[in-house]
Amino acid sequence: MFASSSVRPPIPPELAATLRPVSFATHRRIALDEPWRGLVPGEGLRRGSTISVQAPSGAGGLSLALSLLAGASARGHWAAVVGVDDPGVLAMADLGVDLRRVLFVPRPRGAWAESVADVLDGVDLVIVRPPSRAARGSARVLSDRVRERGAVLLVVSESASTWPLPVELSFSVTHAQWSASSRLEDRTLRVRIEGRAGVRGAEHVVVLPDRRGRAAGG
Amino acid sequence: MERLIGVWVESLRVEALDGSTLRESLALLDALEVVCPFTELIHLGFYALPSRGPSRFFGGEERVLEAVTTVVRDVLGREASLGVADGLVWCEFAARDGVVVEPGKTDDYRRARPLAALGRRDLATTGRRLGLRTVGDFADLERARVSERFSASVLVLHQVARGELDELPGQRDARLGARLGRLREADRPDEQRGFFGQRGAADDRAHAAALRLRQRLGADGVVVAALRGGRLPQDRAALVPWGSPTAVSQDDAPWPGQLRAPSPATVFAHRVAVELRGAANETVRVDARGTLNTTPTTFAFASGAVRAVTWYAGPWPLVERWWAVGRRRAQLQVLLETGEALLLVAESGRWSLAGVYD
Repeated sequence: MFASSSVRPPIPPELAATLRPVSFATHRRIALDEPWRGLVPGEGLRRGSTISVQAPSGAGGLSLALSLLAGASARGHWAAVVGVDDPGVLAMADLGVDLRRVLFVPRPRGAWAESVADVLDGVDLVIVRPPSRAARGSARVLSDRVRERGAVLLVVSESASTWPLPVELSFSVTHAQWSASSRLEDRTLRVRIEGRAGVRGAEHVVVLPDRRGRAAGG
Repeated sequence: MERLIGVWVESLRVEALDGSTLRESLALLDALEVVCPFTELIHLGFYALPSRGPSRFFGGEERVLEAVTTVVRDVLGREASLGVADGLVWCEFAARDGVVVEPGKTDDYRRARPLAALGRRDLATTGRRLGLRTVGDFADLERARVSERFSASVLVLHQVARGELDELPGQRDARLGARLGRLREADRPDEQRGFFGQRGAADDRAHAAALRLRQRLGADGVVVAALRGGRLPQDRAALVPWGSPTAVSQDDAPWPGQLRAPSPATVFAHRVAVELRGAANETVRVDARGTLNTTPTTFAFASGAVRAVTWYAGPWPLVERWWAVGRRRAQLQVLLETGEALLLVAESGRWSLAGVYD
């Protein structure tokens, strides 16, 4: 009956006040889309975790981080991008990111860590590209806050030393190769995914971006 | 050791039975987090925040201290005692004394404290008999001498006295975080508002965060994006300050002359001048028929860094407003020896970097 009715029965306010959304184990993870779904334990990013994305300059680190955002954003999660001075909005849309639910903090000046801390109060996923190596103290406070708020922090950098603390999951691009004809067609990345808890390091091949600007399995 | 600003509020030290102390402490914590989100409530009556970041942001430590004073006055209607020093232990003493210990002077400040400052009466008494009056005297004892005479807990204090540890055991109230968390939960019954499909609680949370960021960074600190018509990636992305009255409409219609996907993940909003040269070091030009005068072989940033070009595609001419003189642009994709792929734009004989396929 409910299934065919577009109107939900009204809930008395005093009852509604006592209700809590059902919490499944899957709610403790933010689901990923293909191709990442099959490559990451639990098919998603665990809430409360800090994740690193590393790639040499121009080798697709930013695209990779943005593609991790895409599925969640399309499912209604809010996200923020901090410290990416000149985001490629068109590329984000091609990847499947819903731009209506993304806050950009392009140039936080000296206050990147403070900006991340602020924005963690309001969104589920935060991509940050720190301008320099993060101080141990701020990294610790940010990790704690990520855990407390149940958010996910993706730290994009060119080297592992940018984030001084261990991370839950790390994606590192070990090789990037463009294929081109009369124009750039697609890029094949070899990505090493390593985790802290029971995830053996393994290397995967991913096409990012492909001809349509999306991420695809290799 | 990190330079910290301490906030000492005497009236919040002793917890009242009606829970008002905890509530006021939380209110002050939330308010101080606007000054610096790394503010921590160490124990009731004492807050600490880093000095470096906020000082850079506010333009000096004095300014931060002024801001903190104002916040405390606004929230509690009382004055707080503020202090600055390196390390949590000495920051608390400085706050209690209401002094700013100059950078690099914390060692002197620490050594001059009476031994009783470490909080152990037995140690202070024994120390007095041994002629150790200050923390400095105690610190000068050899570690082996201390371990002969005292228990392990005093060894930790010895490390604090020597400046090797920056926190006294028990200085932080370990249960406080959980208690504040419960209080916060209880105060947030409307978190479930989006449960039955209205504008979600998540949207409200995001807007609140954006508002706070805007307070921190200024009107254009937070930006939202949308797509609109245009030929170049930088024309197609509309980035507008969050909350600005000009609503952005989503327009994803195809636009003649625009390059198909993939698009660069980094798109420069401002012109980034670059140079593109051929084998004989001559500047590459796009002629009136939309062809290059030579094959590009080297690419140089304005900074002087030079890279070899291994592949290029284009140029794709963009003839816009052909009735206006000089508006002739062309796009070129290049691959560098480093594997980086770039999108370049030529206009009036000058090259600029439009985007990086990062």
